[in-house]
Amino acid sequence: MFSAKIRSEVLKEITDVISTLVDEAKFNLAADSLTVRAVDPAHVAMVDMTIGKDAFEDFKADEGELGLDLDKIKEVLRLARAGDVISLEHDEDRNRLVVRVGNITRHMALVDTAGMSDPKVPNLDLPAKLVVRTDELRQGIKASESVSDHIALLATPDGFEMVSEGDADSVRLDLPKDLLDELQSKEKVRSLFPLDYFSNMVKALSSAKTVTIFLGNDYPVRIEFGLAGDAGNATFLLAPRIESE
Amino acid sequence: MGVDLGVLLNSTPQRLKDFRGKVLAIDAYNVLYQFLSIIRQPDGTPLMDRQGRVTSHLSGLMNRTSRVLQQGTLPIFVFDGAPHPLKLGVLRVRAGIRARAEVEWQEAREAGDLERARRKAQQAVRLTDPMLESAHELLGLMGVPIVQAPSDGEAQASHMVQKGDAWATGSQDYDALLFGSSRLVKNLALSGRRKLPRRNEYVTVQIELIHLAENLESLGLSREQLVDMALLIGTDFNEGIRGIGPKKALKLIREHGDLETALAAANLDMENFEEVRRIFLEPDVTDDYELAWEEPDGDGILEFLCQGFDFSAERVRTAVRRLEEGVASRGQSRLDHWG
Repeated sequence: MFSAKIRSEVLKEITDVISTLVDEAKFNLAADSLTVRAVDPAHVAMVDMTIGKDAFEDFKADEGELGLDLDKIKEVLRLARAGDVISLEHDEDRNRLVVRVGNITRHMALVDTAGMSDPKVPNLDLPAKLVVRTDELRQGIKASESVSDHIALLATPDGFEMVSEGDADSVRLDLPKDLLDELQSKEKVRSLFPLDYFSNMVKALSSAKTVTIFLGNDYPVRIEFGLAGDAGNATFLLAPRIESE
Repeated sequence: MGVDLGVLLNSTPQRLKDFRGKVLAIDAYNVLYQFLSIIRQPDGTPLMDRQGRVTSHLSGLMNRTSRVLQQGTLPIFVFDGAPHPLKLGVLRVRAGIRARAEVEWQEAREAGDLERARRKAQQAVRLTDPMLESAHELLGLMGVPIVQAPSDGEAQASHMVQKGDAWATGSQDYDALLFGSSRLVKNLALSGRRKLPRRNEYVTVQIELIHLAENLESLGLSREQLVDMALLIGTDFNEGIRGIGPKKALKLIREHGDLETALAAANLDMENFEEVRRIFLEPDVTDDYELAWEEPDGDGILEFLCQGFDFSAERVRTAVRRLEEGVASRGQSRLDHWG
């Protein structure tokens, strides 16, 4: 059983975060929350999201799962006007999701979840932790996009840096400790990431003012952030590029 | 060859770069047959080295695979193992067709009928052990992982897609859908400008992506029912019912729900259908494989193709450059390597 009402902005936020990595996702339902865990087809990045029932205007669910095509959710979201509440209901007999927005009702075919495994979250030991403003990250990404396809994230005892090095140009964003909400980094750590992934992840964050970044040396990065006014939280994991030689 | 379902299925056109970062499990036999069939002179003569050894398959592997890898796509080549006993019949029939085509090819060539010669040559295509060996060796030098299927390559590729080790199966046949592959990529080896058979016309062949779930949904069938339909039409493992094509089969299964009921209603009989069903629904596959995309051995490729098979060094260097570009776009680790 699943029946919920959700503000369109919140559903958009959830959808944007997941669709950064996958076109289809399995939504795991429980009485008080909804969780999604998905890995992109190239196995480069993962999202692990939990949305508490408080993110919804109304939420009733039994244990279960729903396979959703995120493009279809986006189609519905395009029909929504600001402030609209979208109603979602699982029609178990016909295995459809009945989505209502305004005066429109869409019966949405569900995606078979049989082939969707629950990815295992790797157990990462990440020595550096920092809390940075999302708009600062956006600036760093914007500066890097014309320079390189990659971006290095560095944490030192004194601050956080984002560095992109192209063939001719390089660009760097320096955020000294006093511009960060939090910084724990005993020594310098650095990892290099594909910029398109990192950029899409950060762009998908719409309500989080800050994110918490956990970083290591040539190691995946973990990015934690709140969703839906902190009624939900999510983690992105992104695998590093390994520089040979 | 596989089952003929094309007319019933929806597909979306794709570009090679749409598969960037994605893993494609390619049916190696299928793609090698494609290369051997297409890469020919107008009179049907395949590419050969100075010793008269066929090199069409190597040329195709070099050119096509390097373009796939250049885009940052990660191919896996899945080779057939021992054929299922029920496939032997089909294989014998095909061997007969090939032998006949071979004779007719020579006749057509001597008669100067190029069109017919080329067509017959394509029907006479044979994939020999030395070709398979050279294909293995070249793929190894290119750094492409090879998976040996216990039986059908498409079944194994589909299994790897179901497990999440690959994003899609690459094949010209629709059998992968019967084997449960959620996505099938067609024309990977074929896209571009192609001549229509028996006509002096060219078409642009596009890469196509077929989603299993979407097609089942729009046909209103389960995968089991799709398999039952295929059995009526005929597969590599059974002959099917004479006079029943895709549309009729769809109608019958929709009407009767399953094969048994459809057969009973039409007062028809089919041998081994339970076994053939099992081949598709519970295929013989393995989890014993390793997937690693190594750096290409550029010098090794040059030596193997230019000295070994008289390829033009310039063309091979172009392909090697593409492979290197692909590696540069790679360097990317996967999450499952960590923690």
